[in-house]
Amino acid sequence: MASMDFDPERMLSALTDAELRYILIGGMAAVLHGDVGVTVDIDIVPERTDENLERLAAALSGLDARIRTEGEPDGLAFDCSAEFFRNLPPDSIVNMTTEAGDLDVAFCPSGTSGYADLKRDAIDIEAADRLHILVASLEDVIRSKEAAGREKDRLALPRLRRLLDHLSGAG
Amino acid sequence: MSISNIVREARRRAGLTQSELAERAGVPKSTVGRIESGARNPSTGMIERLVRASGLDISVSLSEPDPGTDSMFERTLRRSPAERLADATRVARFVLRGRRQVATASDG
Repeated sequence: MASMDFDPERMLSALTDAELRYILIGGMAAVLHGDVGVTVDIDIVPERTDENLERLAAALSGLDARIRTEGEPDGLAFDCSAEFFRNLPPDSIVNMTTEAGDLDVAFCPSGTSGYADLKRDAIDIEAADRLHILVASLEDVIRSKEAAGREKDRLALPRLRRLLDHLSGAG
Repeated sequence: MSISNIVREARRRAGLTQSELAERAGVPKSTVGRIESGARNPSTGMIERLVRASGLDISVSLSEPDPGTDSMFERTLRRSPAERLADATRVARFVLRGRRQVATASDG
């Protein structure tokens, strides 16, 4: 798996084909809004219902998802089941590596209260041919990055705010 | 980020309840609650006090926007979301290949 090519379209297709209810957030969401930043993973916020966790586990198993960790390029195998995700604390982030690249799953990203909160302003975007996904609004991407406060987010935020101004005609 | 979110996020990161933060900062619990709910607009001194009581620092900086960024946005926004995803994928693959080469060279 270490030699895989990053393939976000395949990842998003697998999630969508599994009928998973999720919101795309993070750097790739910003890219779909028009950001020019570099991002090398996918961040999603799934709805945390029993039925959806089953779909999440099935989609991730299909992508051979493993836990991403330093010093283990292929990641670590884990119990990829609905039960695993059900037992996680609400603010957990699961960093995974898959056959199609790195994927992070968060149920309650920083600065948000999760799927329902983000769905309110999410936008349906055709990210590839007939691949429609719900993408967090740029305002919510910014809100989450502001709250996360990581160095890479701090560096991206002035550009994302500028993009927001640009899109609203204020830039 | 709104003031209320800054205070709530700092408290959350410290793993404190509103009462615990209030006690550490030496303010009434209602003050923390009102700030977090947006019902009170605190002074900068009060924000700093609550953030520091959470074990964090807060700073504000001013910067000039990069004039080249707007022209990059113009170009990107002329492309469809699917084209943006394809562009981002190509760039990410390039970056990841570079990282792997650096890692291989370091190992060797």
